[in-house]
Amino acid sequence: MKLINKNAAELSEMLQAKQCSAVELTQEVLTQMDAVESQVGAYVTRCEDALEQAKQVDNARVAGEKLHPLAGIPIGIKDNISTRGIRTSCSSRILENYVPPFDATVMKPIRDAKMVILGKMNMDEFAMGSSTETSYFHPTHNPHNLDCVPGGSSGGSAAAIAAGEAILTLGSDTGGSIRQPASLCGVVGLKPTYGSVSRYGLVAFASSLDQIGLLGKSVKDAAMLQSLIQGHDKMDATSSYRTYTNLYENLNGDVKGLRIGVPKEYFGAGVDAQVKDAVWKGIRLLEQNGASVKEISLPSTEYAINTYYIIASAEASSNLARFDGVRYGYRAQSYTDLTDMYEKTRSEGFGDEVKRRIMLGTFVLSSGFYDAYYKKAKLVQRRIGQEFTVAFQDCDVIVTPTAPSAAFRIGENIGDPLKMYYSDVCTVTVNIAGLPAISVPCGKSEMGLPLGMQFVGNAFAEQTILNAAYGYERLVGGFSVMPESICAGGKNA
Amino acid sequence: MKIDIPHIAKLSRLWIEPEKMEKFETDMAAIVDMVEHLPDVDEALTLDAKHPMQLREDVAVEHKFRREEMLANAPEVQSGCLVVPKTVE
Repeated sequence: MKLINKNAAELSEMLQAKQCSAVELTQEVLTQMDAVESQVGAYVTRCEDALEQAKQVDNARVAGEKLHPLAGIPIGIKDNISTRGIRTSCSSRILENYVPPFDATVMKPIRDAKMVILGKMNMDEFAMGSSTETSYFHPTHNPHNLDCVPGGSSGGSAAAIAAGEAILTLGSDTGGSIRQPASLCGVVGLKPTYGSVSRYGLVAFASSLDQIGLLGKSVKDAAMLQSLIQGHDKMDATSSYRTYTNLYENLNGDVKGLRIGVPKEYFGAGVDAQVKDAVWKGIRLLEQNGASVKEISLPSTEYAINTYYIIASAEASSNLARFDGVRYGYRAQSYTDLTDMYEKTRSEGFGDEVKRRIMLGTFVLSSGFYDAYYKKAKLVQRRIGQEFTVAFQDCDVIVTPTAPSAAFRIGENIGDPLKMYYSDVCTVTVNIAGLPAISVPCGKSEMGLPLGMQFVGNAFAEQTILNAAYGYERLVGGFSVMPESICAGGKNA
Repeated sequence: MKIDIPHIAKLSRLWIEPEKMEKFETDMAAIVDMVEHLPDVDEALTLDAKHPMQLREDVAVEHKFRREEMLANAPEVQSGCLVVPKTVE
């Protein structure tokens, strides 16, 4: 078995036992990138110094330095997370040549742990999309079927894990942008509780919903990386003051006595029958092994997509006002005056989906419409949160499908925004309520495409959802993440 | 609902190409028709008292960036300053 087929937890042990070196591992990932990246398109920027970083980890290990368990594990970073000296474009023309002079807070523990930074992952422009097709540079292809989307917006982060082009990746999740691509690419994706990972340096889309999280091959991987990146940060006013415990060391896959809530609204008409069947099969397996299952109701779920698009777009219209062609980023070549420069710069710099969301946000906040849209949405947001709070009085985790269908074909939904927005129907409520959730693979569709199951927890109950997901992973005998065609080096291998 | 795209675009400091106008109008009308389906919640919108923000101390912060670093990403720079079109006659 090649090193790239192993998960971060296994590789961590091998590195510590000196059964492989960081250079060998990184070299294997780079070789895989050379073999499949032209077909997958997971990256927008590759770090040329990856092998040099790996060499330093090996030297430190030989010198007897005490290293973090993740030292030497190659990681890819979503391109909306600021990386000092490494271009951060948000897959947008307007930031095509932007190189941040600072690191996002989340990069500090990653660099301190001596993880090997491979590069920046492709995404939907400014994280606005569910298919990674709105990237200014190129679409990303699903490693399980190259004609299909990887999901989005963290499509590059998810595809890279499935294709063996990274061992771990960071993503961001505003309405499902980690979990939906994790589901479509058959990998594990964790969206932590709002406030548990600093957002400082994450290019803002919708500040009250955005959350940095991660993707990997196993639940252990997720627990390891989340334990590294979680914590309070004084640079982020919404970051939570609390004691953060090591989720990996406390991982326990015993599902006996676990109380599972299954909300009927997540198994409605819009969700594919094969998705429902796969998730129910997973729930029954947990039940057979000692978990109790109770049907619950989260009645405001039907308003979730509407609430989400109003709040997210309103915040986006304000957050993206900073892109004006003055201090950084793209500026139009010809213009008549200041206003003309703003308009031309933004019109040439942003893609159509970003423009649509900025205009929707401007509309719902504009005079005469604020009460009917934004205020109403904020009230429904509170109600959705209250319904979760009530539900968690009787259950430890809530289990739902992650996405309503398996991966769709590239080009299939891009012309129809409403169809695309519906991809997030099972994930947006978690962001609206600020909760943690993890998506894990749960079988395949008839076409052989991965399906995903989502475990939602109460605020800061990361340990609970990781334990439940780990229990499931053990019961199914582990996840097989990488498709065989890609393991062999892609189409032309 | 028909959305006045040129007006909203102006407020958003965007300019929509004439050939794309019709598609934007159709899409925005469909999106607004979708999102306006919300229940009436007869409650006041209050701040979340359970999760108050921790305010930072009101003290001056030292600049940690050099001027050249901050200007390195600017589209047009002259004599260490950002260049913008004339705004005052």
